[in-house]
Amino acid sequence: MDLLGQVLINGALLGGLYAMMALGLALVWGVLNIVNLAHGAFIMLGAYVSLYLFTYAHIDPFLGLPITAVVMFAVGYGVQRGILNLIVRAPMFNTLLITFGLEVVLTYLAQLTFSADFRTINPSYAGDSIVLGPVVLPLARLLAFGVAIALTVGMWLFLLRTRLGRAIRATAQNLVAARLYGVEPRHLYAVTFGIGIALAGAAGGLYGTVSQINPYIGAALTAKSFAISIIGGLDNPLGVIVGGLFLGILESLAALYVGPTYADVASFGVLVLVLIVRPTGLLGKAA
Amino acid sequence: MLKFSGLSGALVAAAVALASGSAVAKDIVLGASVQLTGPVANTGRYYRDAYQLAVDKINEAGGVKVGNETYQLALKLYDNQSDVNLSVRQYTQLVSRDKVNFLLGPFASNFALADSAVSEKYQIPMVQGGGASDQIFARGFKYIFGTLAPASNYFGSTIEMMKGLDPVPQSVALLYADDAFDVSVAEGTRPKLKAAGFTIAMDERYSTNATDFNSLLSQLKSKNVDAVLVAGHETEILNFVRQAKSLAVAPKMYSFTVGVPSEDFRKALGKDADYAFGMAAWLPSADLKDRWFGDAAQFASAFKAKFSYDPDYHAASGAADVEALVKAIEDAGTIEPAKVRDALAKVKFESLYGQIEFDKNGQIDLPQTVIQVQGDALVAIQGVHGKIAPPKYPMPAWNAR
Amino acid sequence: MTALRIILILAALAVLAAVPWFGSDVLIQFGINALLLAVLAQGWNIIGGYTGYASFGNSVFYGLGSYGVAIAMVQWHLPFAVGLAFGVVLAVAFAVLLGIPVLRLRGHYFAIATLALAQVMTAIVSNVELAGQNIGLVLPPLNNDRLFYELSLGLLVLVTLTVFWLTRSRFGFGLIAIRENEEGAEVMGVNTTLYKTLAFALSGVFSALAGGIHAYWVTFIDPESAFDISLNVKMIIMAVFGGPGTVLGPVVGALSLSAISEFLSSEVTSVAGLFFGIVVVAAVVLMPRGLADVFRRFRKTGWRYFAENIRAHRL
Repeated sequence: MDLLGQVLINGALLGGLYAMMALGLALVWGVLNIVNLAHGAFIMLGAYVSLYLFTYAHIDPFLGLPITAVVMFAVGYGVQRGILNLIVRAPMFNTLLITFGLEVVLTYLAQLTFSADFRTINPSYAGDSIVLGPVVLPLARLLAFGVAIALTVGMWLFLLRTRLGRAIRATAQNLVAARLYGVEPRHLYAVTFGIGIALAGAAGGLYGTVSQINPYIGAALTAKSFAISIIGGLDNPLGVIVGGLFLGILESLAALYVGPTYADVASFGVLVLVLIVRPTGLLGKAA
Repeated sequence: MLKFSGLSGALVAAAVALASGSAVAKDIVLGASVQLTGPVANTGRYYRDAYQLAVDKINEAGGVKVGNETYQLALKLYDNQSDVNLSVRQYTQLVSRDKVNFLLGPFASNFALADSAVSEKYQIPMVQGGGASDQIFARGFKYIFGTLAPASNYFGSTIEMMKGLDPVPQSVALLYADDAFDVSVAEGTRPKLKAAGFTIAMDERYSTNATDFNSLLSQLKSKNVDAVLVAGHETEILNFVRQAKSLAVAPKMYSFTVGVPSEDFRKALGKDADYAFGMAAWLPSADLKDRWFGDAAQFASAFKAKFSYDPDYHAASGAADVEALVKAIEDAGTIEPAKVRDALAKVKFESLYGQIEFDKNGQIDLPQTVIQVQGDALVAIQGVHGKIAPPKYPMPAWNAR
Repeated sequence: MTALRIILILAALAVLAAVPWFGSDVLIQFGINALLLAVLAQGWNIIGGYTGYASFGNSVFYGLGSYGVAIAMVQWHLPFAVGLAFGVVLAVAFAVLLGIPVLRLRGHYFAIATLALAQVMTAIVSNVELAGQNIGLVLPPLNNDRLFYELSLGLLVLVTLTVFWLTRSRFGFGLIAIRENEEGAEVMGVNTTLYKTLAFALSGVFSALAGGIHAYWVTFIDPESAFDISLNVKMIIMAVFGGPGTVLGPVVGALSLSAISEFLSSEVTSVAGLFFGIVVVAAVVLMPRGLADVFRRFRKTGWRYFAENIRAHRL
């Protein structure tokens, strides 16, 4: 019983991190209709930004998250304005291809700049834990989980309550409506993409404190992010949290009861099932 | 019209390719395709650097004497971008276009498995120090030689050491990745554990490139396992150790097939690497005499001076590959591939890597030395001749360090 | 005009078929690889280019074809041809069983579902004892690159003829109708589910055959290489680079991109991947409708062609 409790907690904490990774992808996909295959590569870049802030400027990875987010926002804004904007109205294949090309470029640039060495963001408290009776709560994961939830809820409020947020949501429905908010669409697209990438970068910073970083972690993270956004649904940031928690717990239980090699079968199998049965996500509006 | 443009593209590429890279006379060209980019580039570089260093050193010492003539060695390297298919094509290219004389291997078993088909097809000997899976040598190929110790015996010396620990570990967990090499390790380890009288409390296969070990670690804790043996890859083991700490899982000992000997790994983990056991078929010891480098310690310092990171057994194995080829060429007295192949099968000499002598399948047999991270140092604990230094055992709880 | 065209194509084909007799080993190896990629791109063209469904599941067909051959030859000691047939059976079964539910999805959702299927297959096969789990299977080597080359070329001709037939058959028009407006096609009396499933299966058959040939040629497969998603991305890039929904576009795209990539990886060896990424990005921006469209319109518009593309698709 203690084991099950511990595994459920592990799964939930993992899920919080997953949710954070998927948040930016879901936003960009939902609003700009761009399926960003380079999303994981941006997570990876964010992790390196956090790593460098920590190693050279000695900024705590959690306190440094806003800096990482701002840097990545600028990167995202630039990429949308300079590259993706050129094909916004092209057929869907082309957005898939261009983001794939970006993924390749970013990964290679990362290897040239950072080398293929494995890195970790390892503040002194990274391995600490809180013992609650029979279960152990890893501190870094707990913090990461808290940040993820806070950012997701913040994102939700931002989209619901602020003028810019409402403009972004309106853009998701149609571009003309967005103009009514008096925001220039090119700027709005770039801001949205920038926010998505900033969230990816922040997720990368958190990921680095609990896992290892190298230039090639991106592809697998992109795949996970897809699964979560689909399971959670695209129209509500809170859905992403549900998707993340669901997937994290599912994977942990599969590893415990069926075997560790079945975690991927479970998560991607569920993704296919959800798509077939309820393509708008578990929480999404019925199609 | 359209058809032609595609074809001419291919022909142009081929023509440009033909124009470049032909060997200068009086050179013996060694060719290899290694992972300089892509997910395993981190280990691939050991081979690139070791090949280069060994080639330079042998040339400095006057090159290779074949009969009455002296040849210089040259190295032709390609980057296979960690792509197996590309590496097969590059080896074909090395043999049929670049006309290299002999082949050196790539890193990793799955690459060696695919690439050895090329050396066999063209009957050009390949000496590879990057693949240890039994499958490579079970196909009856005659032109493939390997200088990594067999996978099945990786934990042999560790189990020997465990029998002498105080208190003796009661229960053992065997965790392994699901790739060819690590499954071979597990299959070799299981009977050894049973023969030594250990209870195997957990025997779990996990997915290669897994990042989350929380479920496995929680089970280790709830079953109160004393000793954990992990056969996997560096990335997985980094995650394993970090997550063990954060879940406060501290068995009496754990040992890993890879990672511990590598400097990069210890740097990434920092203080948390302490107490980790590992193994190495090679350590930079002055006891290993070498014709070109003097001994293994001098090889290690030359390597570090040139590339500014420490070599591990991959690098030593790579350097030994070059030496084995050179020795075989000199023994054969010719650079004819078939004769050199026969000389390789009979080769027997002392090198910086240890005694080089291939069995009839083409693989070398080297015993593993148990090593442990103790503070900042990497300490050899137990070798072929028994104990070298006392292990730090049992490992204390994470919060008691 | 058409007669001239046919003669040109036949001549090109004759040259291609003769390559193993005058080309170097490297060229033959490159040829096998490029031809198989062209088969994959052309196979994808059926479901992606003509029907408009961006399938990321074609690498599943490829993998099933590889495993069909590998399992038949290694585990059951059956001949290569039986293995190919077994792979095709697996692919068709997959296309029908999973195609029917998944093909109900549109746009990105279909793409993601097929992407996930590829992941699931990798994960499942890694646990199947018969398929050698994650260790993979080692096939008996056959040193006959000419045979592999001619087989690949034959397969490419076959798939291209099939696509050519599509452009002038009722079935093909039905697929194009689905691409342009699925509801409309339905109203016009096209049995969309049947048509889409058939297109998916047809595309799968060719991918599976390519996978089978490739497996026997490289002599070693494991789940990661057999169900490699980046291979699927490659086929899409090649088809789109050449011109999706055209008869020769994907073939030209595959052969020219293969040549570029091969040239880069042997000449600028360690930044080849980077250049390839840049080529992809530039191609999508400058010629989003593929080479076929460039050939068609470049004569009229000249260099303005590229600027116009950007103007048409940017915001």
